[in-house]
Amino acid sequence: MKKKLLIIPSILFLSILLTFFYLLIIERDPSAIPSNLLDKNIPKFETESLLRKERFISSKEFGNEIILVNFFATWCLPCRDEHIYIKRFSNEKGIRVIGINYKDSSDNAVEWLKNLGNPYSDVPIDKNGRIAIDWGVYGIPETFIVNSKGIIKYRHVGAITKKIYKKINLLIKEIE
Amino acid sequence: MINKTFIIIISICLIQLFSDNSFTVEPEEVLKNQKQELRARNISKNIRCMICQNQSIDESSASLAKDLRILIRNKIKEGNSNEEIYKFLTDRYGDFILLKPPIKLSTLALWVLPFVFLLIGIFVVFWHNKKSKKF
Repeated sequence: MKKKLLIIPSILFLSILLTFFYLLIIERDPSAIPSNLLDKNIPKFETESLLRKERFISSKEFGNEIILVNFFATWCLPCRDEHIYIKRFSNEKGIRVIGINYKDSSDNAVEWLKNLGNPYSDVPIDKNGRIAIDWGVYGIPETFIVNSKGIIKYRHVGAITKKIYKKINLLIKEIE
Repeated sequence: MINKTFIIIISICLIQLFSDNSFTVEPEEVLKNQKQELRARNISKNIRCMICQNQSIDESSASLAKDLRILIRNKIKEGNSNEEIYKFLTDRYGDFILLKPPIKLSTLALWVLPFVFLLIGIFVVFWHNKKSKKF
């Protein structure tokens, strides 16, 4: 009887240990929060454009092709790190990228894009962060994949790394 | 001597624990209508700061927390109800933005399991007691 009693807790303990070990080795970010906008239409917005004279109207831009939406600012260091991958999306892969300039100085943003290269087809300005709130953004840089029907299919919080770059490319191929 | 210091430290800790004065609402954010301001404060206390994650936006000085505090106050001024404001926020950020998870089918385990475990615990204790009396 005593032996039996010892076996059950040890099995329990081992299974808990294995679960924790499994959670440790699989690739996941425990602090990542899933977007509530997945599989939903993009939030509509209208704002000034950094590069063009005419206003940016979301309903005119989305809904024809797959588009990456990237929230960025010149004051955000990880944005500078991921810039090389954003450029690769538009230059090498021919994917349209819209960069939403978040709470930034427009002069700085123009200068920044001049120096680092501009991968964005258009840059709508989010001066007070209100557009970002509608997109459920909480820490820039954030990147969304929007499909050709204007529906959000994926959100990444944080800078795009080599791994994420590959993942997004795979996802875009799947969505196509 | 040590005792005195100890008592002082403990009382400071207790005062901190029971005082509800930690908020970061900036003077220009405060609404003139006191009733509306109280409503805004109460909502803010239930809304998670998405950046700091374990603070409410009422306590956080993160810029997104400030934006949301102002947004909530604007919504109150526009005449939105509390439910409408909570819905606006959860539509965008999900249930995670609420510091208390709502009771839903998907969160039922979260709310019920502690009581289930408590019952199992009570059962085990009684079972053991009964057995040890026999010997």
